[in-house]
Amino acid sequence: MGVTQVQIEACGSEHEDYLHDESRSTGFAESISFPQSEDEVRAILRELHERRIPVTVQGARTGLAAGAVPHGGHVLNLSRMNRVLGLAHDDAGTFSVRVQPGVVLSELRKYLSAKRFPLNGWDESSKAAAQALAEAPEQMFPTDPTESTACLGGMAACNASGARSYRYGPMRPHVQALRMVLADGDVLALRRGAVSACGRKLALTTEGGRRIVADLPTYTMPHAKNASGYYIEDDMDAIDLVIGSDGTLGVITELELALMPAPAVIWAASCFFTDEQAALDATVSVRAGLSHVAALEYFDPAALDILRRAKASGTAFASLPDLPAEHDGALCCLYVELHCADEDQAMADLGLLAEILGKTGGDAQRAWVARTAVDREALTFFRHAVPESVNMLIDERRRTDASITKLGSDMSVPNERLHDVVALYRATLAKEGLQAAAWGHIGDNHLHVNVLPRSHDEFLRGKRLFERWAHEVTAMGGAVSAEHGVGKLKRDFLAIMYGDEHLREMARVKGAFDPYGQLGRGNLFPEELLAATEEASTGAGPDAAADFAAGTSGAAGFERPGCEGVSA
Amino acid sequence: MMHIVVCVKAVPGSTEVRMDPVTHTIIRDGGAAVVNPFDATALEVALRIKDARANMGRPTRVSTLSMGIPATESLLRDCIARGADDALLLSDRAFAGADTLATSYALSCGMHALCDGTAPDLVLCGKMAVDGDTAQIGPELAGLLDMACATDVRSVEVPSPGGVVVRRATDQGIERVELPLPAVLTIAKDAVQPRMPSIAGVFAARDAEVRVLGAHGVGADSARIGLAGSPTQVVRSFVPEREAAGEDVLGDVAAQAARVRELMGGACA
Repeated sequence: MGVTQVQIEACGSEHEDYLHDESRSTGFAESISFPQSEDEVRAILRELHERRIPVTVQGARTGLAAGAVPHGGHVLNLSRMNRVLGLAHDDAGTFSVRVQPGVVLSELRKYLSAKRFPLNGWDESSKAAAQALAEAPEQMFPTDPTESTACLGGMAACNASGARSYRYGPMRPHVQALRMVLADGDVLALRRGAVSACGRKLALTTEGGRRIVADLPTYTMPHAKNASGYYIEDDMDAIDLVIGSDGTLGVITELELALMPAPAVIWAASCFFTDEQAALDATVSVRAGLSHVAALEYFDPAALDILRRAKASGTAFASLPDLPAEHDGALCCLYVELHCADEDQAMADLGLLAEILGKTGGDAQRAWVARTAVDREALTFFRHAVPESVNMLIDERRRTDASITKLGSDMSVPNERLHDVVALYRATLAKEGLQAAAWGHIGDNHLHVNVLPRSHDEFLRGKRLFERWAHEVTAMGGAVSAEHGVGKLKRDFLAIMYGDEHLREMARVKGAFDPYGQLGRGNLFPEELLAATEEASTGAGPDAAADFAAGTSGAAGFERPGCEGVSA
Repeated sequence: MMHIVVCVKAVPGSTEVRMDPVTHTIIRDGGAAVVNPFDATALEVALRIKDARANMGRPTRVSTLSMGIPATESLLRDCIARGADDALLLSDRAFAGADTLATSYALSCGMHALCDGTAPDLVLCGKMAVDGDTAQIGPELAGLLDMACATDVRSVEVPSPGGVVVRRATDQGIERVELPLPAVLTIAKDAVQPRMPSIAGVFAARDAEVRVLGAHGVGADSARIGLAGSPTQVVRSFVPEREAAGEDVLGDVAAQAARVRELMGGACA
């Protein structure tokens, strides 16, 4: 086996695109690489590890929390690791697909809908599974972030969600196995169900034989949609720690994703309401009453108004469906997507929805129902046009004041606090006199409230307001980031949500995987905390993290049946 | 009451059209059929006329008419969900293999059945169908029904009993045309944005009756329908097939360069 050539280039002006992502913040880096295989990633990381150079992992750079924006050091861009590696078909009839991290979601969808994959380099078993898939009912990968050009590695790194997570959950449960290269070039292979923590102790062995033992943080995660910091639970599966870790523990080089049969019938209804409270009441009723809801989304009056103006401006949005006028009773909109086994099921849920509309002030005569592919595409266009139009509005404002950027929230609360959190948003926005548009995943009590600053002063006040919301959402038992991940932009909110001690616990877990704090520098943790953890995990001091990293932990008291693997 | 009939065709939902190797006609198994997008726009134009006239206190009946396999019934039901009042499907093996002349003849027979022997005030068709691309049905229907005709219509003013004013695209620009009623209009695809059904519309359509009639039912002359009534002879038709598969050039840089050189016949010096 030959030595893998490492292609590390100095960052030049031609690499400018790789210094930012969809969060629209810009960073800096000294070098960049575009590996195509796990071996290349290992060789690159080994070389960088010797010099302790920070590494920022990038995929398609569609993230909204600046997780892929470099803070110096090296950019490890995985967009060329974009091969589908194979397919499996188990005895229960479930298909799973093995991908490199740079495979883009829309590509995977294209392969699944055509039932045809590029088979180059596939083994016989994968080819047989591809044949079985061609003959099986259509399969889907359910995670559905709005941005379908996101890559699957990035989606796993931030535990992406999207509209359909209401029914199918976030990325996490669909990841069956993964391979991850650690900062020193060693590899960790994790399969769901294979390695679990014992209580809050986790022990893992790398392919190179290194033992990683970590005390997991002691916090309890909120009972709400959550992508804030490390996923931690008693006796948790080790793979779940990596999913949503924002590129801070290792570089995902391979994912095995479970597929599921696509629903036979997908119908969607956009229901218009004369006031926001009515839409919130309908949300609660839909959650309780309908059995086949896959997505439950909301668009507030400002969001609809922005859409109306975008359509009228005759731009790319001219082909949007004609929205009913505000004075005609269409102030805000609830989008309900049904995934059903047959049309009878869909009709039953649609009937219940009509009843709910009747009771809550909606109008079954005015609701749009998309049952055909053309209509579904029109509604998808409608939903996706909202953030696009808001971005265009902000771009326009930036021409007069470059310091303005969009401020988008990503917070969630438990079901019973939906009305409270919306009341909080409305009262504080009104008090501050800030312009905002809100939309998103109301079924999960997870709205993206976007402050639209008209000046630098409004931008600063918007930022302060988000900080206040972070405190109040935490007090409601919610999460400061429900789906975008924490990255660099929501780092301060993570400290608000979990507190400094829990943040230190998280940093110590990172230290066990990445003792020199090289990976995802700036994500989740402030610099000073990482520096302190680095000192503890690599210095000679009597710190537990050093023992864990060296695999010499003598921590006792967890060697009970089923926990043998944890003792070092 | 003004009566508008919208002609609707079921077309394949995907761009991968399958042809019958013997008859050289499109295989229509109804699997993923959709309403021809031009016809969907024509229906929307009809529904907007109906809404506008309703605001003036004048009633309008919008019917949809199609010729196709029995599965086309679900597409007509969808038209009712969007606001059409009723629908008639012409479905009979005797209609199969029809060219545009035989199709427009069958539709003209259906038109008489829909209107109890009289003629509608306005017939709206899509400018063309996305599968056949002929744009002939509308003008042929106008000929058969002896009606005025305007093609490629971009906008329609609310018709009065005296006539209808339309604007149509020509190579020279937009032409304003006044037509007497009854008339046939073929509608451009981007004329208006088709609406979606309402929840109430979906339930109304579920309970609505879609009439289905065969060749005898509409009193069609068997010599003028189906293959027998079609003077068009398709000699050959085919979907171009990609013959060569692509190749991923894999390996390290040197191996990839060597393979590319080989593929180029060693031509690069």
